[in-house]
Amino acid sequence: MPESIPASLIVDTLKDLFAKERGGARREPLGWVLSVPDTHQKTVLAALDKEPDKQRGIRVLTCATEDEATGIAAGLWIGGEPVVMMIQHAGLYASVNTLRGIAMDGKVPTFYLIGLLSREKDKDPRESRHSMVRFAEPLLDTFGVPHARLEGPDDVHLIPEYYRLSRERRGPAALLVGLETS
Amino acid sequence: MAMRPEDVLRAIAAARGDAICIPTMTTAPAWREIAPDDLSITCTGFMGGASTLGLGIALARPDRRVIVFDGDGSLLMQLGSLATIAGARARNLVHLLFKNGVYHTSGAQEIPGGFAVDFVQMAKGAGYREASTIKDIGEFRRRLPSMLTAEGPLFVELITGLSEQTPMTVRGAGTPFHQQVETLRTRLAASA
Repeated sequence: MPESIPASLIVDTLKDLFAKERGGARREPLGWVLSVPDTHQKTVLAALDKEPDKQRGIRVLTCATEDEATGIAAGLWIGGEPVVMMIQHAGLYASVNTLRGIAMDGKVPTFYLIGLLSREKDKDPRESRHSMVRFAEPLLDTFGVPHARLEGPDDVHLIPEYYRLSRERRGPAALLVGLETS
Repeated sequence: MAMRPEDVLRAIAAARGDAICIPTMTTAPAWREIAPDDLSITCTGFMGGASTLGLGIALARPDRRVIVFDGDGSLLMQLGSLATIAGARARNLVHLLFKNGVYHTSGAQEIPGGFAVDFVQMAKGAGYREASTIKDIGEFRRRLPSMLTAEGPLFVELITGLSEQTPMTVRGAGTPFHQQVETLRTRLAASA
């Protein structure tokens, strides 16, 4: 059965990932999270907002749409900055053309944490009664976007793995957050 | 009389220094001819995305001026980007809007609201540091130096006629988008 992941664990994982991406260089901010706020990951966003050193740490930029977030992520990467996007499955559907045009055609590494809002704990997402849950993985498959599920605290190692996969492949990669973070 | 887009682009090319330029749609073909360098990325295929691509570069490289050449039809596709850009407070971003009132590339159909849409008021309302309109090439040339140094984000609506070319009339020309991306990233890394 899937488990909720503590927000602090995800925040610490992102900090570690960004620090390694910086190669030890002291830069401000440490890295970027581009968010179109996702109910499923709201505790992570709240934790990032409460970080005592957030000016120097992870900078969160709230975007009006996932299209915008994808464009900004591309620009940050072009400029050499580490960046993670936190969105919801509905936002993935809304921004498919930008994913194709920028992340895929532009060969821009783009890493998504995608919340599966309304995913039933006792069901495989592909068998969900909610279309927005059910279609997320098939959509990613259609576009050839590598993806995996974050189904509990033991899976957070996938965050740096898929982030780096997006860099190696020069394209999009996604992790689906199975349950609401705690 | 509306400005010719090509005249505006030539003035920018002459004054920009090492500013990074992000043309989209109908400014893209002319810019490739006027400024065939590796400090630009032309955005086609994801209409509306130029402003946020430019914002990302501006945030990553606050030491460089970033100039977005947006279109009115393009901006309408991601109108919320005005608030996102203003909220991000990118001090080095100049957002130029080439306003011609139509979707030139697809056959010059009028945009929703036509020429009456007041993008300057929208940018001001979103929180841009400055937003204004320029209708005359002489005024544009006079104000361009301050656009390249003043604290942003700046928004300038340029009243223009139609460009001589569109991405459809010169289809397939130019360096592929992914190569432009790679070249600019490499160039910026070398100057970091």
